[in-house]
Amino acid sequence: MKARSTLRRTWLHCLLVVCTLGLSALAVAHHSFAMFDSGNQQRLVGTVTQFDWTNPHIYIELDAADPSGEIKHWTIECANISILSRLGWKFNILKPGDMITIVVAPLRNGEPGALLKQLMLSDGSKWGNGAPAGPPTIDIETGEKLDG
Amino acid sequence: MAKHKKHLLPLTVAFSVLSTLVAIAAEPARIDGKWFAYPGQVDPLQLTIEPPPPIPEPPLKPEYLAQWRALRAEIQAAEQRGEPIASGYTHCIPDGMPTMMQGMFPMEVLESEGQVTIIQEAYQQVRRIYLDDEQQPWEEAEPRFWGHSVARWEGDTLVVDTVGIKENVMFRNVPHSPAMRISERIRLIDDMHMVDEVTVTDPEYLTGPWQWTWMYARNPDYKLYEYVCENNREYADPETGEARLRLFGE
Repeated sequence: MKARSTLRRTWLHCLLVVCTLGLSALAVAHHSFAMFDSGNQQRLVGTVTQFDWTNPHIYIELDAADPSGEIKHWTIECANISILSRLGWKFNILKPGDMITIVVAPLRNGEPGALLKQLMLSDGSKWGNGAPAGPPTIDIETGEKLDG
Repeated sequence: MAKHKKHLLPLTVAFSVLSTLVAIAAEPARIDGKWFAYPGQVDPLQLTIEPPPPIPEPPLKPEYLAQWRALRAEIQAAEQRGEPIASGYTHCIPDGMPTMMQGMFPMEVLESEGQVTIIQEAYQQVRRIYLDDEQQPWEEAEPRFWGHSVARWEGDTLVVDTVGIKENVMFRNVPHSPAMRISERIRLIDDMHMVDEVTVTDPEYLTGPWQWTWMYARNPDYKLYEYVCENNREYADPETGEARLRLFGE
């Protein structure tokens, strides 16, 4: 009986993997994030200049210093009201003037736009950007590459 | 006579209780409520029961199948290059049928007298299914995003027939003619799960029925969010058709 339930669990697990892969292909067809380079993530520390709690995407406008210390303006695309509300975000989570740290996947074309992977507020709380946007691959506190 | 009347009262009560019970038993199981796509892609759910098998390739006629496969390959190659081809979503165009039945976000099913209404949170899509109504011939059906749906209850299964889908409203980029027909069998598999068995037929494009099953998990506490595509900063490059992001101030 135990062997049977283990077998069933394994079967369900395989199905989940297959479904997730299949559905990822579907997600790509729905709305692609391929313009962003998820394999080359960056950590940015900066000041919010505008926060748009809107659909089809939420946007953070951010002034962040580059490694040479020069301030550069970034447009950060986040998921949307539906996904982020279900993750606990609220319309007033950010406001102009807030200092934040983010991990992003920058645009492949080199323009200062990016897809959010993770947000850290000044109180240290960390917020994801939902399943379709995918997880961060670098540590939001240190910028070090994460395992796996 | 008075004695007989005395016996009639309990009989009347018993009859009325019995007819109420019969009416309840005959009442189809209610599908109304808030439903998440299961196992879900945008809001992945814990796997509790076996999910449906993957959707098969459409049984397109050979000439259309070759074109469709080539398009899929082109879309995939563009993705891999990091130059995604703009889709309907880039222009804030809603799914339409049948895609909205497994749209991006949760959906709400409302049962009312003579009608079942389905609201998909993404793009606030609304589909109205008229019960026990006559379907119009597809030739007469105005092409729409969600078409024209009529249904009847067969026991605990809502059997829905839909015609009149606009030709540019496609599921998985599969082409179709105005004669496309979508048949659905929607039913509860337990209190918390629902299935929609979909069959698409199209004499012009398909060699036979294209069938798959979608599943849903109930979330009674969920309240749908409003969705208005008011701040769309993505656009299709007029030269390449590539999806792009408009930066602040552009």
